[in-house]
Amino acid sequence: MAEVATTPPTHRQLFVGMQQVALSSFGGGLSAWSERIVVEERQWMSKEEFITGLTVARLFPGPNQINMAVYIGSHFRGLTGAIAALLGILLLPFSLLMLLGLGYYYLHETLAVDRVLSGVITASAGMALSMGFKIAGAYSRDPVALLLAGTSFLAMSVFHVRLVPLVLVAGPLAMAWYWPRQPKP
Amino acid sequence: MSAASTACQAVQLGDWRQLLAVIWDFLSLSLFSLGGGNTLLNEYHHMAVDQYCWLTSRQFADIYAIAEAAPGPSSMIVGLLGMGAAVKEGPLWGVLSGLTAEIAILLPSTLLMVAAALSWNRMRHSPWRIAFERGLGPITLGILFAVGLKILRISDHDTPAYAVSLVVCVLMLRTKISPLWFMAVAGLMGALGLVNR
Repeated sequence: MAEVATTPPTHRQLFVGMQQVALSSFGGGLSAWSERIVVEERQWMSKEEFITGLTVARLFPGPNQINMAVYIGSHFRGLTGAIAALLGILLLPFSLLMLLGLGYYYLHETLAVDRVLSGVITASAGMALSMGFKIAGAYSRDPVALLLAGTSFLAMSVFHVRLVPLVLVAGPLAMAWYWPRQPKP
Repeated sequence: MSAASTACQAVQLGDWRQLLAVIWDFLSLSLFSLGGGNTLLNEYHHMAVDQYCWLTSRQFADIYAIAEAAPGPSSMIVGLLGMGAAVKEGPLWGVLSGLTAEIAILLPSTLLMVAAALSWNRMRHSPWRIAFERGLGPITLGILFAVGLKILRISDHDTPAYAVSLVVCVLMLRTKISPLWFMAVAGLMGALGLVNR
């Protein structure tokens, strides 16, 4: 079967499919697994449709992978489909996280746990630091973008401006600057 | 314990008005989670450590690492924050509180996402969409650097720790090695006492 399936997935299939995505991606690579299962294995969407979904998921607020599940669910079954997909992708990882969390809160004063975590946090701090660098390249030739980024960074890091007021002030200014203009004749 | 954290008055989640205020905070942050949610980490730290005193800064660094290491979307850190707010009352309250926080942070963005999915074809060529995407991108970039620096500051307190973080950062950018390896090796270094807090 090379064509995209004609009957849209049911709520139950959405739940099970997203759960499969969550399970397969234990160890990482959620995005790649999502595409493999949704496009190749279950053939719910074409690759193009999937990429459109990913664009929407990244553009709108919310965690990208969760947004993608919501997109897939609502694409086929509206709001209830979105909920089925969301539950599918979150149920197992969230349950496991809650167990890890209980383990942490009850054991974090144990010396061994504390020492291991002292090491692990240095790695996660490095990962956090890499997030900005990862997308910085896209803006390196746009001085206005660098000014906006630099100002947002200083506002938050040095002047402790909170995120909501920062976005509410800088967001509209940036949008006005980048408003698409008609090409001049 | 510094003087500031002793003075910090933990919020009483038993008082429904304070509980609603906390839920409202998560609901309203939801729509500001640009760039996949990581932009909210500074706000989470502010809420949990400075405003509501659920966690110490050190615990925040720990649960950030746990959420990164655990399978699934790392934005589930909100569940661990919520758990930290109520786990002193017992494990069941911890889980309920974690679940409540997670639902609150996901609800508004999910509803918006459903609306977006259903109306994307009309929206995709709208000037609003183009301006939003181009304008908010650089702001997201600046915020992500601020978040990275904040996590670095609360996690690392000596030179070896900073060195490990910088090496991990470079490897994250230059290689495709799974981050789990970095965490495993760094955890081992912690266990052996090579890096300390």
